Amino acid sequence: MENMMQGVMNKVKTWARINSPWAIHYNSGSCNGCDIEILATLTPRFDVERFGIKLQGSPRHADVLICTGPVTLQSRDRLVRIYNQMPEPKFVVAVGSCGISGGVFQGCYNVVGDISEVIPVNVYIPGCPPRPEAIIHGVVELLKSLQP
Amino acid sequence: METEKALELAESLLKDFAISTNRPEENRVDFVIDRKNLKPAVNAILVDKRWGYLSAITALDNALWKVDETTKKKTIDPSGGSLELLYHFCQAAAVATLRVSLSYDDPKVDSICDLISSVSMYEREAAELYGIEFVGTPNTDKLLLPDNWPAGVYPMRKTFTSLEDSAKG
Repeated sequence: MENMMQGVMNKVKTWARINSPWAIHYNSGSCNGCDIEILATLTPRFDVERFGIKLQGSPRHADVLICTGPVTLQSRDRLVRIYNQMPEPKFVVAVGSCGISGGVFQGCYNVVGDISEVIPVNVYIPGCPPRPEAIIHGVVELLKSLQP
Repeated sequence: METEKALELAESLLKDFAISTNRPEENRVDFVIDRKNLKPAVNAILVDKRWGYLSAITALDNALWKVDETTKKKTIDPSGGSLELLYHFCQAAAVATLRVSLSYDDPKVDSICDLISSVSMYEREAAELYGIEFVGTPNTDKLLLPDNWPAGVYPMRKTFTSLEDSAKG
């Protein structure tokens, strides 16, 4: 009886997580190109809100952290702090080639580069900047991976 | 035509201070001045006559490179080279630049914050990236670099290669 209740609750939780992931967006030093494309993805033309993704103001309300930019040394501590404020289970999407390897800023004196050296990343979306269709594809990949 | 007249007016305003004058492009004029003459020169072009507005203050590292004959590798010759500060003043399309040359051992220059208070940002940037000291500047906080950046390491100088290399010494 207990196990059946657990199973049902898990199914409900997974259904809720997949169908309405709430996101928070953080720019860790990018040129803003990827941020503009993320903003375009949230507008009615590409409309990622049909997947239930809402942009939240506080990391304490969010499931998904959408992170752009090569992590600059100054924003590194802030990024870790925001990641720690998110409740479990949490997922990280790294948008743009800066988040993958540092992009054009690779090797600069003030830049870490790969976001996964600071926080664990689930999905990388390459591009400089990636088109909104690519961002939607990445987010859908993340949601598909949550399905049991 | 107006640009030419504006440039000639700038030349006449600064002829007492300029060590040399140069026209690198059609709408630009460069004046090399001594660092002791910086404040009088800025007074002459900005305060007395109001020729134009201060557009930006940029810094340069003119390092002396030497090429090894056999290996053809370029290295920095520490016996030569200088830092340079450029003060750009604009009036429509005409640009007048004051160039102040500073040595690596004593890169001090007077701050012009009492004439124009908003140059504080440019002076902070040049101070943290090149190591130029502005005497009398009100704010010496870091502008772009993180708070835990090691002191004495100036990333925009040609001798800087990376943070790890400068930590090793």
